[in-house]
Amino acid sequence: MKSWHRYSITLLAGLAVGLGAAWALTNGGLGDGAIRNGPWTTSLGYGTKATDPLTRAMVARSGLLALPARETIYWMAKTDASGAPLDGNCRYSLSGTPLDARWWSVTVYNDTGYLVDNPAGVWSVNGANVALDADGAWRVVISPDKPADAAWLPGVKGEPFQLTLRMYNPGAAFRADPAKAALPKIVKEGC
Amino acid sequence: MRNWLGPLAFGLILTAVTAWAAIGAIPYGLMNVAMERLGQGGINTMSHGNLATPARQPVVRPSPDLAYSSCPYDLSAGPLAIDVTPVPGRYSSLSIFDAATDVIFVRNDVEAQGKPFRIVVARDGQAVPAGAEVVRTTHDRGIALVRLLLKDPKEIGALNAVRRQSTCATVTKLK
Repeated sequence: MKSWHRYSITLLAGLAVGLGAAWALTNGGLGDGAIRNGPWTTSLGYGTKATDPLTRAMVARSGLLALPARETIYWMAKTDASGAPLDGNCRYSLSGTPLDARWWSVTVYNDTGYLVDNPAGVWSVNGANVALDADGAWRVVISPDKPADAAWLPGVKGEPFQLTLRMYNPGAAFRADPAKAALPKIVKEGC
Repeated sequence: MRNWLGPLAFGLILTAVTAWAAIGAIPYGLMNVAMERLGQGGINTMSHGNLATPARQPVVRPSPDLAYSSCPYDLSAGPLAIDVTPVPGRYSSLSIFDAATDVIFVRNDVEAQGKPFRIVVARDGQAVPAGAEVVRTTHDRGIALVRLLLKDPKEIGALNAVRRQSTCATVTKLK
């Protein structure tokens, strides 16, 4: 084998592995953020100029045009409270109290961050449309089929899914310690 | 085997350089794609998109609770003027992203005290109208985005007229 053959092989391999590595390194999504709170993760660095090239590329892939934290905090959950991946064939209880923000919503996405069709044409719950019980708490059920006894947030039938919690204009107390704030609970009820 | 030492070292260095360059290029590439998808109504024009549904998702993780109006811009022909009209009593915001996907400006309805406002986006050195509120940028291209929160998707009909009052256009007159 001639020398230039060897260089050609490592040239092609170097380009391929380099591109593959760039794609893999930026695949973490918002879920690899620095702040954890139960199954929810976020980073307060999104939507700023200060982020490093790797974070910027990760955000561009998973949350292009995302707002900075004082405007909106984006939390992502890929697992339930026990740490098991969210499964579109299972039934989950999503519950909490009104969040410390001007407005909040929880949206169901598929594993790549897109909305998927469902018979109800509903993809989110928000602070304006959840019903509060006598204790001031709300609860919806995420499941593949409409539950008989609860407000329904359709899951992604037959696929793993993710939740994004958006908090618009989060309160100062919340921003001071987001890792300890009370966020919605995601509890699996059955499959 | 010794013949491979040079080529392997070359390959490893090339891998690192390629990965680093690709990571740097990803935001620009994705911004171009977003400008392409959001720019159906034209560059330097505010398009008032329909609500996100499975059939209409121009960017990743769209919120079904928000009405997005977008202005993909290009400052090569001059600065851009963006006029935003907030809707009383509900969250709305203008955010401006440069070609590297960085946020260069954000203002919500509360910060605007609920009143209409105008922002001029200009490159360093570009002449701007006297008295204008100016945001300087180092990139020609980017996207200005207006978010308007809906309590219910059905509200979009009633709010369509007011959200269409938000516009963007290249500045042609400096006075």
